[in-house]
Amino acid sequence: MTSRLMFRVLAALVAFTVLARIPVGFDVGFKFDSALAVIWAFGLLSLVLLTGYVGQISLCQATFAGVGAYATGLMVAGFHTDYLVAVGVGVAAAFTLGVIVGIPALRLRGITLAIVTLGIALVFDRYVFQDHAFEWFTGGTAGWRVDRATMFGLQMDSSKHLMSAYIVLLALFCVVALLMVNLHDSGAGRRLRAIRDSELSAATMGVNLTRYKLLAFGMSAAIAGLGGSFYPLVAGSVSPQPFWLFTSLQFAAIAVLMGVRYVPAAALGGVFMAVVPDVLTRFGHGTFMGHAYEISYDWFQIAVGVLLIVQLIALPDGVWGDLRARVRHARSAAGAIGGRKVKVA
Amino acid sequence: MTMLRVRDMTVRFGGIVALDGVSLDLNRGEILGMIGPNGAGKTTLFNCISGVIRPDHGSILFETNDLTYAPPHRRAQLGIARTFQNLQLWGSMTVQENLMVPMDALGRRNTFSDALYLPFSAYAERASSERARAILHVLDLGRYARTLAGDLPAGIQRRVEIARALAMRPKLLLLDEPAAGLDAQETAHLAELLHAVRERFHVSMLLVDHDMSLVMRVCDFVYVLDFGKLLARGRPAAIRNDPKVVAAYLGEESKKLTGDVMTVAAARKEEPPLLEVDRLAAGYGGLEVIRDVTLSVRPGEVVACIGANGAGKTTTLRAISGMIHPRAGHVVFAGRDVTGSPAERITKLGLVHIPEGRGLFPTISVEDTLRLVSNSAGHEVDIAPAFQLFPRLRERRRQLVGTLSGGEQQMVALARAILSEPRLVMIDEMSQGLAPTVVRQLFEIVRVFREQGIAVLLVEQFVESALDVADRAYVFEHGTIALSGPAVELRSDRTLVTGSYLGTAADASTIAAANGNGHHIDPALMEVMSVRVPAKVKRALEQRAENEGRPAGAVVVELLGKVDDQ
Ligand SMILES: Nc1ncnc2c1ncn2[C@@H]1O[C@H](COP(=O)(O)OP(=O)(O)OP(=O)(O)O)[C@@H](O)[C@H]1O
Ligand SMILES: [Mg+2]
Repeated sequence: MTSRLMFRVLAALVAFTVLARIPVGFDVGFKFDSALAVIWAFGLLSLVLLTGYVGQISLCQATFAGVGAYATGLMVAGFHTDYLVAVGVGVAAAFTLGVIVGIPALRLRGITLAIVTLGIALVFDRYVFQDHAFEWFTGGTAGWRVDRATMFGLQMDSSKHLMSAYIVLLALFCVVALLMVNLHDSGAGRRLRAIRDSELSAATMGVNLTRYKLLAFGMSAAIAGLGGSFYPLVAGSVSPQPFWLFTSLQFAAIAVLMGVRYVPAAALGGVFMAVVPDVLTRFGHGTFMGHAYEISYDWFQIAVGVLLIVQLIALPDGVWGDLRARVRHARSAAGAIGGRKVKVA
Repeated sequence: MTMLRVRDMTVRFGGIVALDGVSLDLNRGEILGMIGPNGAGKTTLFNCISGVIRPDHGSILFETNDLTYAPPHRRAQLGIARTFQNLQLWGSMTVQENLMVPMDALGRRNTFSDALYLPFSAYAERASSERARAILHVLDLGRYARTLAGDLPAGIQRRVEIARALAMRPKLLLLDEPAAGLDAQETAHLAELLHAVRERFHVSMLLVDHDMSLVMRVCDFVYVLDFGKLLARGRPAAIRNDPKVVAAYLGEESKKLTGDVMTVAAARKEEPPLLEVDRLAAGYGGLEVIRDVTLSVRPGEVVACIGANGAGKTTTLRAISGMIHPRAGHVVFAGRDVTGSPAERITKLGLVHIPEGRGLFPTISVEDTLRLVSNSAGHEVDIAPAFQLFPRLRERRRQLVGTLSGGEQQMVALARAILSEPRLVMIDEMSQGLAPTVVRQLFEIVRVFREQGIAVLLVEQFVESALDVADRAYVFEHGTIALSGPAVELRSDRTLVTGSYLGTAADASTIAAANGNGHHIDPALMEVMSVRVPAKVKRALEQRAENEGRPAGAVVVELLGKVDDQ
């Protein structure tokens, strides 16, 4: 048991050290992509908890991230607090909103829940992030500018210290991911998964549905918000566009594509979401055999759609889930590990 | 002392009154039986007691707590556990994890300390997993501890449901058809288990089942529901002979078929087989479950597959119908090789498979489910015959299939199969969840099939009934066919059946346990049901049978006749 824990801690450390080095030596654009990848990975991780573990649907995860981002921006630009304090406020704001969104989820499920959360995303997109009434929160049309932030008392300038922001983000992600993996196998994780598999029997076996569903929504929103809180630091300002409705939809699509039940799939999805569009815009135009071509960002959306369809048919458990199953199968076939050798019928 | 006091429970679903002013008292340490026709409201009453639905009217008092408005998890904390008629295990979790959820949901566990893996959580974790393993061991489920619950066959899932309920250390246990899909021997074990649980843990129980042998054997008192109302209540023996109960639920004994079965079977001998299965092998993952299964079904023939749970009957049907891919062997249906063809293609050829889980879509109405048949057949099919067969479904035609009672769902599955005008129907666990009167009716339907030239391949835990209705039977053992022959012969030659199918079980108790329920009943054997015949007696019986050159079953019946006379 504890050896498994040691293994996970070790894996997280290795992942951190390897990933921390990757952007070194690349240009600023790529460093920005790397940081953005972690932010998106937080969003996907929040879905691993909510959908993968608890089986609830949400199409407003980007809204949670946005609330985290704006609250942080407000604290840093408006009140000049330390960045970490601001992140704390951002996460708390996202958590609160998550719990509130969780209330309708107590009664709804499936498609109705999807529509309700979609509505919430739409409302925030249109009437909070872009409305005059909430200028105190959003900093107006220009958004909050976060040029000079301090973290642990150290200067964290967005343009110059992109790398340190990335490292902090990555470290946080590794810790949260580790906690998530632990949670999965723990008592609380079993209760959450019981809700996913059968709410009916979970309730009659003593699981307090109200409490655990609200908790799940709150924690999930907090995770998305944690990622979002770093957006002002990485980008230098907050704007509504990254947290609009469509990002929420992309979260859902890519989480399913990569394997919504698996924590590492979130990291994979984050990279996919941040890097592929950038690569497309950078290298997506030129001439090929005398013909000029241009692959715009729109192609990314179409590609995600097509990949999703292919995945649903070919890899129903997502890219990561399928990889994992293959590795396990190969290992048990090789006799290395007993697997599930139980008589089945 | 009254432990549970239910007063005036009333539940309406739209126009349907599922429960109509039912009151019930359960004393501490008592096992209370509840029987009644399909859709009588038994499961609905369970739902009210466990808090899954709110009654429109009435109150529930448990010990000193008024439960009428308590949420389900609160009732669990107070000590009410239940099992579900349509299995509700957490399929993607291992069996052991399934048991651990109720254990620590009731303890004081903290989400954050769990995620951080603090020593307190680690300690609680070990304690829970050890207790889970102990319970699994007692219920003889130890070897499935690490299997995903969803991968298990239905019979074993049902036992895991009981294990999970016991893991809560309940004071009151609500069991909804725990014996469905269990064979006679397993039902006998279940009865023993329930007695043992009561003795050891002082658990009171409320038991719903259509298997009268179980109800008669374990219950102190029986309530009978009909159309949501209390029809009768009393001691098991009195209930059994209550004319009202017989009329509404148990029904009259059916007369036994004899000679004519042989002639029908003989008449079909010349026709070429409709289904031919040759040395079929199939399995799941790294495991081969059946091998070398060779069988055939002629047009209009009724063939029974019997054998203990886990012998491979369900897997055989799945491999034939294309639900799983055979690993070796051939399946030839209506002259065509359909080995490994997709299930839809095989269905189109006229082979209909009614799987164990019934394979219905819960969010479609009864009527639409039946109409879908006509759509897939490519032309409109009149669905009226289905309602003639099961009049109950007519009243429920607009209801969503998922909200039907367990027995009503089984009726829909059967009706759907019949409407598709099949040439061969394969029915897994045919009588599961059906009331005795309906079971009897069903066996009549199977006979009608035969007259119309529709072949039937059925899996049935009630061996006696299956052999009564079938022309021929195959006896499965450890994933292959151990024995086959005309049903009449298998029926009379009980040593054959007991030898392979019933294993080491004592003849008399298993024969007896197969009774009740619209299945053929030997009254003398009902009496000795609770007596476990010791191994010595069994050996003596077999010896005597050998000396006299006739089946041991015949000897037993004769001996019991003598006992009765005294
Ligand atoms: N949610 C619902 N909506 C409409 N009708 C319902 C609903 N739930 C149950 N019913 C109806 O209430 C009646 C009682 O159902 P219940 O499940 O209690 O029967 P039961 O006695 O358990 O029968 P069985 O022996 O077949 O399991 C049935 O006719 C069923 O169709
Ligand atoms: Mg029922």
